[in-house]
Amino acid sequence: MLELSMHILDIAQNSLAAGSTRVEIRIQEDLPADFLVIEVRDNGRGISGAMLPKVTDPFVTSRTTREVGLGLPLLKEAAERCEGCVEVRSEEGRGTTVVARFRLDHFDRAPLGDMGETMGILISANPDVDFLYEHRVDQRIYIMETREMRQVLGSIGLDDPSVLDFVRQDIRMGLKKIGAATFPKIMEVLR
Amino acid sequence: MIKKTQIFQAGDHKMKLKELAGRLNWELKTRNVPIEAEVKTGYASDLLSDVLANSIEGDLWVTRQTHLNIVAIAVMRDLSGILISSGAEPDPDTLEKAGEKMVPIFRTTLPTFEVVGRLYQLGITGER
Repeated sequence: MLELSMHILDIAQNSLAAGSTRVEIRIQEDLPADFLVIEVRDNGRGISGAMLPKVTDPFVTSRTTREVGLGLPLLKEAAERCEGCVEVRSEEGRGTTVVARFRLDHFDRAPLGDMGETMGILISANPDVDFLYEHRVDQRIYIMETREMRQVLGSIGLDDPSVLDFVRQDIRMGLKKIGAATFPKIMEVLR
Repeated sequence: MIKKTQIFQAGDHKMKLKELAGRLNWELKTRNVPIEAEVKTGYASDLLSDVLANSIEGDLWVTRQTHLNIVAIAVMRDLSGILISSGAEPDPDTLEKAGEKMVPIFRTTLPTFEVVGRLYQLGITGER
């Protein structure tokens, strides 16, 4: 996948396929330490202990694991390609947490992509699920919480086109404001 | 319909970027960047570290990547230009930096495999 936002969409869709009612997406960029961490945490049905070690194997596609697909193997490859790793923690009946770590300025670290679009897709198809998107760049932080938005909106659904437009724009502007690293800074090598 | 092109004989003649772009119908995305350079070889990859390690000076680089870093790679390796495949659009930042660093960027709607095949027919090889 060319962008991290596409990986995130894929992993979050696993969460939704597992019946989650809340999906928390957290991205943390640590500039001094040069790493980027993506965490997707859900309260879905979880993965059994026997299945857990196999979820990053692309050839595990039995019916019982249908909801996993290729998302995790591809994320693992993308992370390992830039000196990172992927960790999956899960408890049956409680939920799953996927943590992917990347070296922030590695040449092959995929660009962040359009997180506004990713969240827009997730929310429009699942307006009753609670989504949290939190993005930190050192001490700066951007947070979007659909639960809070729902309270403000009253009878208007989160899948209303103007609401979705607002969400997409708010994320794009919010990320710009905190200086989210959209792609690794190779250019600085030239100076 | 693709017209059958004569298979290139080594040493026939060199093609300028400008000619390649005209013959293969690419869109030139950069402005005020010369496209007179002669191209003999090319490299195709979407992995930036791979291009950095394996491209050679003067290569035309075919890639689906669109972000700013492709310009950095082209400058570091002294590539003759970048061809973005599959109809992807380069980011505005990418074009701005390409203009500044004099790296020509083209765009084709064809996927990498197809456009590389056509380049090969026109005599551009992947020889290292």
